[in-house]
Amino acid sequence: MATPVYLKKMTWTMEEGLISKWLKREGDKTSEGEGLCEVETEKTTDEIQAPASGTLLKVLHKEGTAVPVNALIAVIGSPGEDISSIPVSAEPTVATGPQLVPLEKAQQARVSPTISEAPEPSLERIRISPSARRLARERGIDVTKIKGTGPSGRIVSEDVLTFSGKPEAGLPAEEYKSAPLAGHRKVIADRLSLSARTAVHVPITMEIDMTPAAKLKSEKEKTGLQVSYNDFIIKATAMALREFPAVNTMLLGQELRTITEVNVGFAVVSGEDLLVPVIRNADQLSLEDISRNGKTLAERARSGSLTTREMSGGTFTVSNLGMYDVDLFAPVINPPETAILGVGRIVPKLVVLGENTVIRQMMTLTLVFDHRVIDGARAAKFLQRVKQLLETPEKLVS
Amino acid sequence: MSETRELDFAEAIREAIRQEMLRDKTLILMGEDVGKFGGIFGCTKGLQAEFGEERIRDTPISETAILGASIGAALTGMHCIAELEFMDFIGCPMDQIFNQMAKIRYMFGGSMNVPVVLRAPAGSRYPVACGAAQHSQSLEAWFMHVPGLKVVTPSMPYDAKGLLINAIRCGDPVLFVEHKLLYYAKRMASLRGPYPTLIQKVPEESYVIPFGKADIKRPGEDITVVATMMMVHKALRVAEELAKKGISMEVIDPRTLVPLDKQTIVESVKKTGKVVVASEDAKTAGVGAEIAAMIMEEAFDYLDAPVKRVSGLDVPIPYAPILESTVVPQERHIREAVLEVLGQKE
Repeated sequence: MATPVYLKKMTWTMEEGLISKWLKREGDKTSEGEGLCEVETEKTTDEIQAPASGTLLKVLHKEGTAVPVNALIAVIGSPGEDISSIPVSAEPTVATGPQLVPLEKAQQARVSPTISEAPEPSLERIRISPSARRLARERGIDVTKIKGTGPSGRIVSEDVLTFSGKPEAGLPAEEYKSAPLAGHRKVIADRLSLSARTAVHVPITMEIDMTPAAKLKSEKEKTGLQVSYNDFIIKATAMALREFPAVNTMLLGQELRTITEVNVGFAVVSGEDLLVPVIRNADQLSLEDISRNGKTLAERARSGSLTTREMSGGTFTVSNLGMYDVDLFAPVINPPETAILGVGRIVPKLVVLGENTVIRQMMTLTLVFDHRVIDGARAAKFLQRVKQLLETPEKLVS
Repeated sequence: MSETRELDFAEAIREAIRQEMLRDKTLILMGEDVGKFGGIFGCTKGLQAEFGEERIRDTPISETAILGASIGAALTGMHCIAELEFMDFIGCPMDQIFNQMAKIRYMFGGSMNVPVVLRAPAGSRYPVACGAAQHSQSLEAWFMHVPGLKVVTPSMPYDAKGLLINAIRCGDPVLFVEHKLLYYAKRMASLRGPYPTLIQKVPEESYVIPFGKADIKRPGEDITVVATMMMVHKALRVAEELAKKGISMEVIDPRTLVPLDKQTIVESVKKTGKVVVASEDAKTAGVGAEIAAMIMEEAFDYLDAPVKRVSGLDVPIPYAPILESTVVPQERHIREAVLEVLGQKE
C-alpha cells in the first residue's frame, strides 16, 4: 500500500517549510526512518523521514519550494504501484499514467491538503498485538498515533512503551503525562548529549568588579543609550577572543579549525525553546552596535522568527542566568565550540580594596572550556583578559 | 543419603521400574521381548533375571493382548506396566485404551480403577536410525483428546524417573510417551555432543514428580518456547546459540500434556509476550495446536505476536534421512520460528 508523506509541523510556530534539499530522488529505495528531504523553517533545518520503507514513487515539490504544514510532499510505495487513490499531482501537466487524477481535484489537493483530509485510518486496519493494545489502553494512548515496528508494521509492546517513554510497566496512566522527544527539544537533547559525550568540560571561575561598568552604563543611559550588562560581556568576550584565537577554535574530527571571524552566540529563552542567536564579527562592532543587534535578535528569537543563518556560525557562546538570581553556574559547551561563558548575577558585595572595605558591584563569570582543545592556563588567561576588559570598560567603548 | 549418578533416559526408566518392582509386589510388566531380550530399547535389561518370568512377561506379538491382559490384571488387583515396542502400533489395542482403560473407573462409578502405565516409544530417530512412516510417529495428541487418560511426555532422565514412579503409583491409566532418540545418549557420542542434557545426574533414591507441573528448563526474558520431549533438547541448543545474539529464550517443558500446567506457561507468556510451541507430532490438531489455543484463551492480552507452532509436517514420515530431517522439526526450524516471532532476520 502506498504511504503518503506529509510536511510535519516541526516547531510550534511553524506554518510552512522550505524544502531545501531532496535527499532521495523519485525511484530511489528508502527505508523507514531514513531522511527523505531537508526542510528549512524559521528556526531550524530538519529532515523529513520516510514514514515507511519502499520506493519513493512521487516527489511533489521541487527544491526551494515553500510548502504549508501538513501538505502532501511525496508518496512511498512499491514500484509500479497504482497511487491514484492519493491525490498526487503538483505538476498537473505531467502525465503520470492513465490513472491521472483530474486536474481540478489535483489542484485542490495542492492548495490545502492536510492530514485531516487524508483518509482516517480505521481502528480495524491497524495491526497491533493484543499486548500492545492492552498497554496502550492502560496508558491512555491513542494507538493510531503509534508507529509499528513489528513484523508487517505491527505495533508491538515495545512500540507502545517507547511511545509512552516509560519502560516500566504497571504505572497507572493518571500519574504522568507523556510526550515524545521531538522537534526543538530533540535537537537540544542531541546536541548537548553529544557535547557531554565528547568534550572534556572544565569550569573555571572569576569574580569581576562591575562597578566601573555600572557607572559607564548609567552614563550611557543619560545620553539615551540603553546598553545592557550582557552587551558589555559580549563585547569584552569578543575582544578577548580576537586576542586568543585558540579559544575561537573548533575541534572537527581530527582537525583543529581556528575561525577567523569572532561570532558570539547568546542564549535566549523563547517560550519553551532555548535559542542561540549569533552576533557576527562581534569584535569589530561597537558596544552600541552589539547592543542594537542583540536586541533585534533577542526579539526575533522571542517571536520565533529567527532565520537559520541568524542562529548559525557561532564560535563562542555566552549564557546569562543572572536575571534569575543565579550566582554562578557551569553551562554545557555548545558543540563544536571550544568554550562557553556562564554569567551570574551582579550583586553588591563587601570587598577589600587597599586598606578599606568597600561595597562593589560584583559578578561571577564561569568559563567552561574543552580541555581537549585548550589547557587550563590558557583558559585562565583568556578569562583574566575578559575580567580586565570588563573592569576597565572604557576599553570597550574606545 | 542420596547418591547421584549420571544416567541416560533408558537407565532412568529401568531404575524407576526396578525400584517400584522392589517396593510393590503386585507390579508386573508385559510386552514384546521385554524379558530375555531386555526390551527393544534396553529399558528392561536384567529385570527378568531379577524379578522372574511371572513379573517380567514376554508376550505374543499382539498389542491388543498386551493391553487386554494388563487391564484385566489391573482390575483384579495388580499394578501393570504395558510396553509397546513402537507407539505406531497403538492402533491395534485402541479400543482397549480409549474405551476400556480410560473409561472403566467412570463407568463403574469409581468402584474400580485401572492402574496401568502404557509405555509407548515415539518419535523420529533421525539422525541415529531411519524408522519411516510406521515406526517414527508421535501420536500423543490423539490421547490428549481422550478424557480419562493422563499423557506424560518426559524429556530428561531425572523427570523420566520421577514421573514414571508417579505414574505407577497414581492408580489410574497413564500413557507414558518415551521419545526414542532419548534412549541413545550413552551409546552414541554424536548425540551427547550436541545435546548434553540427554544425560543427567539422577538421585539413586526413589522420588516422585507430580503430574501437571511444568519445568522451566531455561529461564529467559524475550520469548517463551514450550517444547516437549526431544524438542526440549533441540530448543535448549537453539537458546544457547541465540543467547550469543542477545536473545533470551525461556524454555518450558510441560512434562505432562494431560494434565497441562497452564499456569507456568501463562506466567511465562505474560513476561515475554511471545511464544513458540515446539513439538514433533504432525501440526494439524496436534500438541502445538492445543497449547497455542490455551494461550490464546488464557493470555490473549499479553501476546505481542501470534503464537507460532514448530511441528512435524502433515505427511507420512519419509524413510530417506534428508527428507525425514525436513518433515521432523530440527533446530533450524525452531530458530527460524523464534526469529520470526521476534521480528528479526536470520
